[in-house]
Amino acid sequence: MGDETTTSLRNFFIFNPTLGTKEGEELKKILYYHPVTDHVDVQIKNVGLVEGIINFTGTFGVSSDITSLHTQKTRQIFLEAEKNFWMVMILNVPMTTKVKDGVSSPEYLEGAIQDKVYQSVLRQAYFIYRLFWNTFQNTTNKDGVDALKTRLEIFYSAYLKSLKLAHADILNIFSGIQYLPLDKLTFLKVQCLINGLECDYPQVTHTAFLYNDHLIWSSVEPSDMQVLYHYLISTLLPANLEVELQGGSMQRHSTSPFSALRHGRFVTGPSNLKNAKTTGKVPRIYTFSGPTASCYHLIVYRVLSASLCLFVKAEKELDIDFFRKFDSYISPKLTSLVSDIAEYCSKQVSSPSNVPENAPKFIYFNKFNLAYKSTVHLDNKQSGNVTISDEQLKIIADLNTNGSSIEDSTETVVKTLNDYWVVAKTSNYREFYIVEQQRNAHLIDISKDIKTICETELKGIFFQPI
Amino acid sequence: MAASDYYLELTANPLRFEAGNQLTNVFFDDSNKQVFSVRSGGVMGVVVKGLNELDKPLNFRMEDRGPVLSIKFSLDLKILAVHRTNSSVEFMNFNGVSLEEEYSQSCKKNHKILGFVWTLENEVAFITDHGVELYKVISDKKSLKQLKTLSHSLQWFVWCPVNKIALLASAHGSQLQPIYFKTGTVGKLSRVESMPCKMALERDITLGTLYGTPAFLILRHQSGPQTAEVHIHELSGPGQAPVKTHILKLGMSGRFAINIVDNLILVHHQASRSSQIFDIALPGESDGIVKYHTAVGPAKSFKPASLTVPGLDDNQMQPCELYSPNWVVFQPNIVIDAKLGCLWHINLCLPNLCSVISDLVTCTRLLLRRSEGKIVLLNVLLMRIRQKEPPLEKIREAFNYINREYRTWLEIVLQNQTASPAHDPIRSKPIANGNIIIVDQIEIFNEIFLKLDEESEINKLEWVLIAYLTSLFEYDIKALQNMNELLVTTLVRRQKFTSLQQLLQYGVIADSKTLACILLSLGNIYEAGTQLALDMLSRLNAEEEIQEILLSQGQILTAMKLSPDKKNLRKFLQAAQDSNDEQIFHTVLYYFKNHPTHNAAFKRDSRLDGFIHYYNSLFQDK
Repeated sequence: MGDETTTSLRNFFIFNPTLGTKEGEELKKILYYHPVTDHVDVQIKNVGLVEGIINFTGTFGVSSDITSLHTQKTRQIFLEAEKNFWMVMILNVPMTTKVKDGVSSPEYLEGAIQDKVYQSVLRQAYFIYRLFWNTFQNTTNKDGVDALKTRLEIFYSAYLKSLKLAHADILNIFSGIQYLPLDKLTFLKVQCLINGLECDYPQVTHTAFLYNDHLIWSSVEPSDMQVLYHYLISTLLPANLEVELQGGSMQRHSTSPFSALRHGRFVTGPSNLKNAKTTGKVPRIYTFSGPTASCYHLIVYRVLSASLCLFVKAEKELDIDFFRKFDSYISPKLTSLVSDIAEYCSKQVSSPSNVPENAPKFIYFNKFNLAYKSTVHLDNKQSGNVTISDEQLKIIADLNTNGSSIEDSTETVVKTLNDYWVVAKTSNYREFYIVEQQRNAHLIDISKDIKTICETELKGIFFQPI
Repeated sequence: MAASDYYLELTANPLRFEAGNQLTNVFFDDSNKQVFSVRSGGVMGVVVKGLNELDKPLNFRMEDRGPVLSIKFSLDLKILAVHRTNSSVEFMNFNGVSLEEEYSQSCKKNHKILGFVWTLENEVAFITDHGVELYKVISDKKSLKQLKTLSHSLQWFVWCPVNKIALLASAHGSQLQPIYFKTGTVGKLSRVESMPCKMALERDITLGTLYGTPAFLILRHQSGPQTAEVHIHELSGPGQAPVKTHILKLGMSGRFAINIVDNLILVHHQASRSSQIFDIALPGESDGIVKYHTAVGPAKSFKPASLTVPGLDDNQMQPCELYSPNWVVFQPNIVIDAKLGCLWHINLCLPNLCSVISDLVTCTRLLLRRSEGKIVLLNVLLMRIRQKEPPLEKIREAFNYINREYRTWLEIVLQNQTASPAHDPIRSKPIANGNIIIVDQIEIFNEIFLKLDEESEINKLEWVLIAYLTSLFEYDIKALQNMNELLVTTLVRRQKFTSLQQLLQYGVIADSKTLACILLSLGNIYEAGTQLALDMLSRLNAEEEIQEILLSQGQILTAMKLSPDKKNLRKFLQAAQDSNDEQIFHTVLYYFKNHPTHNAAFKRDSRLDGFIHYYNSLFQDK
């Protein structure tokens, strides 16, 4: 066996061709370039090549814009995030080395990279930036190109490190939200808490409520929530959990025996309410579902496993008094509510791990509330911790690419060489993928299995009749 | 005077009687609630006024045989009893106009009559310093027959005409012995738990009924800095044994008087000219046996009252002195000023009382047990909801108390319905034990939710609806369909589609076809509306409706799959033709053509010919 490589990032750059139209000013077009170790000439050359391809294909006037370029060793993904602002991600195609007759030759696995998946990765990279810094155009207009460059530099040099390219899959395409299944009474209690909060704190415009990695309630439009959700569960909350585990937040409890009864604290905002003089770091975020972008302070408050996100209009000044008051207001209410939720959840233990090994696995996605559910993925950290093979995951992504309109009811069944069946069904704006292994099975057997699974998993919704 | 400055008032039209003076003696009989004005021992006439305004005052004369100590009609107003001496009571039959000849009954020798009470229409009990003598009055024979005696030495007694119970006091009021009367008999109950070295005066003891249970209310004055308390002994133990269950903390000392109105205890304090209200049904600190209560609101004076007095030119209004030393109170809600010659009833102004109770939950619990509480409660709730920052948590808790009673009532209704096969419709809400009012969903809906119809109040409407639904679910009560519809339309008006989606997702809003139609109609402004409508219809098994929606979306094949018999050929063929999709039309037509049953339909139904022609026109060239 020879060397093997996985999908990895080769280049990542953002440019705007209108910023340097004259010869010799090519460098001005480049707003961000990764890696910085590339010589300026190489940077100009790479950007120039992409620009050339974009211009070239543009002359054909094809209906859809160019999205990717396949070469033997690389895959280039293009995204015109905003008008004239192009984001380009160049990936190394995975490679294995084959030894034949004593001669080793590299073999590039072109099929390993699915355009749609990585386009989603690129789009996500843009959305996350936009969540914190508003649009490229907005920054350019308000603070100038240099400010934009600085922000891009700060943001993406950190962000690119956190990219998990090798395990990107269908979930990147969905970029969905996991909702916590709850009974209506507990859910209504959450609602009442939120309503009370919105009534008592009118400066809070929106709220979102998460339990562990699951969303229970959000008053933000799903399109905005989806970006924020991914930031919360992949970056903010895990980082915070680490601080917690290191005992960073325990200091407060030691000061008084009574403070141990209080479990709440701010994830964004002052870390130590007693001694804090400033409000700490409260990120500003932008939402885009309204007619114009709106800017908010994002305050995240955590009690045990529940996180409460507050959106306060950016114009409102936050002071330490607000945080203190809010803490004493919400902490007792939230603590009792969280124990209700925890109690309900403990009754419904059904994690993917206790499903029998060879039971069919499925992925579900609803286009409207962006809810997804997967028994394929054992966690949502994109660590490649999945219950089906890479090949089947790729088939699912391919099936998703094929299904153009999910309003109509469709059904596609794929049988692989190693007796796996992958079924994709769409209906009523929902997608449902099932993977099952059955030796010597007939299509009828599979249909029967699919029917049972649909009946149990898709209860209470309208999905196409079988 | 602002409405919040008082919550008790005296009736506007008091019963006026001739005030007491050297010639006239005034008596009040609290069994029949009659005021007797006896002029010159009866020779100059006796005027009897009852509380019922329709009753004409009785007017008669009787002979003067010495000063009258007490005078009372029998319960049927046919016999008048007059107590003049220590040893006997005189009786006179009364025909409605005048008195007949007198007959008399003496008590046992050397006993002293302290008082007498009519226990039944024709039974009278003499209470002497040695016990009780019960007699039956035989008016025809103008004689009495002794029925029973009970010996017990006592100094004074208090009588409760409602429960036919008397409390006999001995040892200067430190020992209290309750006795009860039943037809032809009298018996002792267990003694009231005494407090060492604590004496009680006659005026400190009130007998009444609280939430259906007879009770003794005993004022206990404290020495030193401590303030007075009212100890309530309810006859709730085995064999009606009195048990001390509640203590009211008055926070003041001095002279008090007690009334009971609508199961609320009113404690009037003379020195401060104010009254406090207590409700033993409200929660209080408890040591396991006795519950300690404080007043439900701050102490307030009566609403100023005035009397019309005939003046020279015109009638003049003269203010009455409130909490006057001439006041005597009687149960349940009577105040008499013997000097002014006035008898008032005490009225409770529930709305004013509520306005001084800041806590909405206490207010709700109080109102739920008041006979006139329902409208006030609904108003209070509406007012609190309308205030600037409504206390949502309290409102939800208030709903919980309302719905707890509502739930109990629903259970009773259900039991009655299952028990009686005759299907008597139980429309009226029973006044359940303990005076509980039931506020059902329709009332909340009409009196609160429908009134929050202004645009500026719509956010409150949403909050309160959610709070109310939460409370309903907490008590496992199914929400009325119009609640659900109101919630949906409210959310739509507020453009809160995300909320709507989540509420539906978690099953908060119950399914119905009406709602599904509303959701479907949202399709233009809210994309997911159709999905939600289809989901709902699918839960309702409304396949017909789903088919129609699918057909309108052009999903002809899915719609056909959903139809088990596919009888309506024309519907599907027409939809296929309208879809302008040749392939679909071909598929649909050939499915029917190749199916033996459906194929037969083509021969039967000439209306289907059009589709064949259409098909031929589509495909003839190909």
